[in-house]
Amino acid sequence: MPETLEIKRLDQRPMTESLLSKNKVKFLGLGSDEIIKYFFSGSAWTAIIVLALITFSLFREGAGFFPQHHDSLKLYRLAGLEFVDYFRDQMTAQASLSRYLNELKLNKTLKLQAAGKGEAEIESLLAPLEQLRLDFDQAGLEGQALLDEMTSMAAGIKDRYTISEENRISRKQLIDAGMKEEADLLEIEDIDFAKEAENLKTTFLPKQKEVSATMAAKMKSLLAATKVENTIYEAEVNRFKATVSKYITGFDSVQMKMQDWTHDKPVPFYESITKFITGTKWVTQSFWQDWYGIVPLFIGSLTVSIVALIVAVPLGVGAAIYINQVASIQEQNFVKPFIEFVAVIPSVVLGFFGIAVLGEGIRVFTQWDMMAWVPGFPIAERLNIITAGLLLALMAVPSIFTFSEDALNNVPKAYKEASFSLGANRLQTISRIMVPASLSGIISAILLGFGRVIGETMVVLLVAGNRLEIPDFSAGLMVIFQPVHTMTGLVAQEIPEVVKGSLQYRALFVLAIALFLISLLINYVAQIFVRKYKISVG
Amino acid sequence: MSNAPTAIEVENVDFYYGNSKALHDISLKIPKGLVTAFIGPSGCGKSTLLRCFNRMNDLIDGTSVKSGKIKIHGVDIYSKEVDVIELRKRVGMVFQKSNPFPKSIYENIVYGLRLQGINDKKMLDEVVEKSLRGAALWDEVKDRLDDYATGLSGGQMQRLCIARAIAVEPEIILMDEPCSALDPIATMKVEELIDELKKKYTIVIVTHNMQQAGRCSDFTAFYYLGKLIEFDRTEKIFTNPSKQQTEDYITGRFG
Amino acid sequence: MQNKSNNPFLKVSTPAKRQETAFFWLFRIATYIIIAAAGYIFFDIAYKGVGVIFQLKAPFVNVPFLTEWPETLDIFKLPANQDMKMEVSQYARMTYENPKVNFVEKGTLEMVIFKSPEGVMKKVLPEQKEAFDADPISHGWSVLSERAVMQVFQLKEVSEIKIGNTLYRSLVDDNEGVPPLEHKTQVYAAGGIYPAIVGTVLLVVGSMIIALTLGVLCATYLSEYSRSGPIINFIRLSIMNLAGVPSIVFGMWGYAMFVLLFGWNVSLMAGWFTLAFMVLPIVITGSEESLRAVPQGFREGSLALGASKWQTIYKNVLPYALPGILTSSIMGIARIAGETAAIMFTASFVVRDELPWQVKHAGEFFFNGVMALPYHIFVVSARVPQNVYTEKSSMARHSSSWSSF
Repeated sequence: MPETLEIKRLDQRPMTESLLSKNKVKFLGLGSDEIIKYFFSGSAWTAIIVLALITFSLFREGAGFFPQHHDSLKLYRLAGLEFVDYFRDQMTAQASLSRYLNELKLNKTLKLQAAGKGEAEIESLLAPLEQLRLDFDQAGLEGQALLDEMTSMAAGIKDRYTISEENRISRKQLIDAGMKEEADLLEIEDIDFAKEAENLKTTFLPKQKEVSATMAAKMKSLLAATKVENTIYEAEVNRFKATVSKYITGFDSVQMKMQDWTHDKPVPFYESITKFITGTKWVTQSFWQDWYGIVPLFIGSLTVSIVALIVAVPLGVGAAIYINQVASIQEQNFVKPFIEFVAVIPSVVLGFFGIAVLGEGIRVFTQWDMMAWVPGFPIAERLNIITAGLLLALMAVPSIFTFSEDALNNVPKAYKEASFSLGANRLQTISRIMVPASLSGIISAILLGFGRVIGETMVVLLVAGNRLEIPDFSAGLMVIFQPVHTMTGLVAQEIPEVVKGSLQYRALFVLAIALFLISLLINYVAQIFVRKYKISVG
Repeated sequence: MSNAPTAIEVENVDFYYGNSKALHDISLKIPKGLVTAFIGPSGCGKSTLLRCFNRMNDLIDGTSVKSGKIKIHGVDIYSKEVDVIELRKRVGMVFQKSNPFPKSIYENIVYGLRLQGINDKKMLDEVVEKSLRGAALWDEVKDRLDDYATGLSGGQMQRLCIARAIAVEPEIILMDEPCSALDPIATMKVEELIDELKKKYTIVIVTHNMQQAGRCSDFTAFYYLGKLIEFDRTEKIFTNPSKQQTEDYITGRFG
Repeated sequence: MQNKSNNPFLKVSTPAKRQETAFFWLFRIATYIIIAAAGYIFFDIAYKGVGVIFQLKAPFVNVPFLTEWPETLDIFKLPANQDMKMEVSQYARMTYENPKVNFVEKGTLEMVIFKSPEGVMKKVLPEQKEAFDADPISHGWSVLSERAVMQVFQLKEVSEIKIGNTLYRSLVDDNEGVPPLEHKTQVYAAGGIYPAIVGTVLLVVGSMIIALTLGVLCATYLSEYSRSGPIINFIRLSIMNLAGVPSIVFGMWGYAMFVLLFGWNVSLMAGWFTLAFMVLPIVITGSEESLRAVPQGFREGSLALGASKWQTIYKNVLPYALPGILTSSIMGIARIAGETAAIMFTASFVVRDELPWQVKHAGEFFFNGVMALPYHIFVVSARVPQNVYTEKSSMARHSSSWSSF
């Protein structure tokens, strides 16, 4: 047994003592290392705290929407606006029928011009149509005048109510501030809605009945008088006639509705929610009635995103497969950083590019003679779903590409080797082994791309056209050439001009909440796919 | 078995990775001032046990010594009073894969001292020379102490790691297969070094290489499937093992 | 000698092989469509932007564009054959009060153009005939900067202009006897983008400091201290979810919380925090990856020498992770520099006449909004269709916002 030499050490204490000398420095019962650890762990909670704060702030501002929306809907009924709108619907339908005739005439004129007809000839050919259009407009004039009268009366009731409510609040504030005299100067009128409603009904019901009757009579005689046999617009006018006849029969039900209308029929609270979710109109800062319906915005966001994904998914996934499985090293080294660089193009720059270059480019493209056979070409709007969709596709491609490529990379090499060794070629290996094994990763990549485009703001705000209407899906595929408005674009557009605390302000926050929840949902589902994928590979 | 005083005493230790038991009821006494080798097939738990001695296993999630005690110089190192940092200063370790820091050779050696707040240049120079000489590396690197340590050869890097460990002046040095990544010449040098070091330190070495265990250890412990099969003087283990499993392993019938 | 037909490994064209080739070509085309589309955008912007930022004469950089305020141009269509005259005293006073502004006469005084000596207006100097002719200006339109018009004609607003003894107004509805003046305004069609560059730099620096501090702390915890468990999983889930939150939602949050609830108004501070939390997930993920790339051996080696956990991290992990952390945070910087939706209600002004640090109290520096490049691009884009100026200058704005990455 060799002799153990004595070690000359810095710390002369025997081992036993030094081992037990724990926690020299203590603060609140914690060693310094523990304090550092808690300090770090505290900052790790930031993400959770931020998410909680976002939720809290958005709900704090947005939660007041539904009660206020409810009040607004109640007032809509109380002040008789609803009553007037029954008749307004009738007149709106008339106006749109008239617009149809107008368009028909324009259409036919263009066709005749194309056929090389002279101006006088065209005029004579279209004379019956023009007559029909004028007379049909004429038939609506009386109704329109009545509607204006009704509108101003109902709007007056609403205004008086709003002003006196405002005065009531200011008076209370003045009294609280001790300014009694000033407070007394503010007039407060208690609106007797029952009386006003009675007044509204007694004044306008008979008039409306009378006007409708004359309108119906005029239209019927007009239809009977119009002879369009053997003209180039016979089919259309006959269809028009049928529509108008149907329209006239609807007058009775409008009258019934107006007859049955009462101002004090309760508005259930859930309507403030259902009207928001299913409402098809988003009208703000209107003198008449504001409508907050998310449907046109949601459909706008969705159509733009779907167009973007239809373009981006094949490109992104195809490129990922190509780069991961087929491309040479040099190609990989060029393409990967390039596509990652695409991800950092600021969205506002893309939006600007869309306005300045792409939108115009698409329009010019549709104006080409060789594209004239496509129905609907040339297009009218430069800024539309397809312009926004194409740009968003470019924004989604980097996410889809990168995550799909990761997913393909994570497939164990052994799978691929096994497949090759059994005599499969590369395409068979890709389609039967690689893609199925990484499918959930690819799906989650697509979802993340979807999350990116549906939340994108600047591109859609600048390029989607910002028309607050549900696009006309009856146009079939050509719907992609229509402008839309989106949830994100609307928020960005309206926030700078709203009054804090107003119904519109709260509505915008509800939209933000909806966006927040949608993005959380998409992310969560994407992560479920990723997790499942990890298990499947082992 | 031995009349040498005990450096490390392992009493009925069960060790778990999560829910799977890696060590079953291990008990042994590692004598002070001698070289003890741990041998056994892969996955038998010899490295795990070694890493228990300076509590390196604390770094791995879900590991725990569920029962039993490990005492170093009579102190239960898993008790709450023990300062892990002091323990690691006293129980140095050399890893399977040499892991010099990407600093100069000099800074690698003095890393442990700087941690303790020692910045006196003269003292550091002294320690560097002493440690490098102790690790038989001084002559090879004395002219390029400021070069990056990562530029050394594999054997030199491993000896640098040993020098770095002895610079802190531990009493026990744990070596986790220190030669597994080295060529025969470098291995020989490290083995010579171990022979030299055992004059001052208690050494525990895990090795796959039975010749190595035979050459440089005084005691040998053979593990199999997380159990200590046999622990005895090295000559006895290699010439006349008392267990059939040990004999099978040593004669190369399995493992 | 082996007969060719007997060789079983001979290359033959089979339907499967042709199909393979066809599919690979499809994938290849998909890849290159992306490259082409993005490449076209890069090229278009670079091509148009370079022309504005750089020039052929020394100092080769369009200094005024980078150092001046954006200017709004007012364009007047002068009545035919109407000379635009200014009284000598007016001219003298103007040049005396503002030596930077002078005016150039062209030909018969049919047109008067005011310009700043180094300004963008140079483009319409008579000697640059070509540029001139391509422009509506040469057809009887006069371009004046809003400030110049107001100074010269001593007007409160630029909807009217006095030429000789006749007063013209752009709104003529109820002004009998006052001839109409065709007048249009082009917002930020001239001048430079200096304050926007300054604002963007301030926003990026401030928010990156916040984001890096929090992000590196959080990443260090996740990579070095945390043990897997439900809480850590939840933290990771939150980080992933935070990364997916649209920037407009961050903008709304910043608006509701910092601008309104905390009362910071539209300010640099509100922008810093909104942007910082927006890039936080990017910073955390990047930092954690860099930390994980530091070999485990560095940690074990250090701990085995008796270093405490913190000493190990501080001396032997963070220094080696730092380059990676900084590289990955470039992605964050790029994101912030180009972000519009998150700052449009929290931090950015359409226009601000002073630089952010030209304030009376230090506090005003933090609690005032700034101009920012992306928002400036938005303001300009929202007014498309536009003339050559706007297009070029906004293109240049992009490239300058890019060069900041």
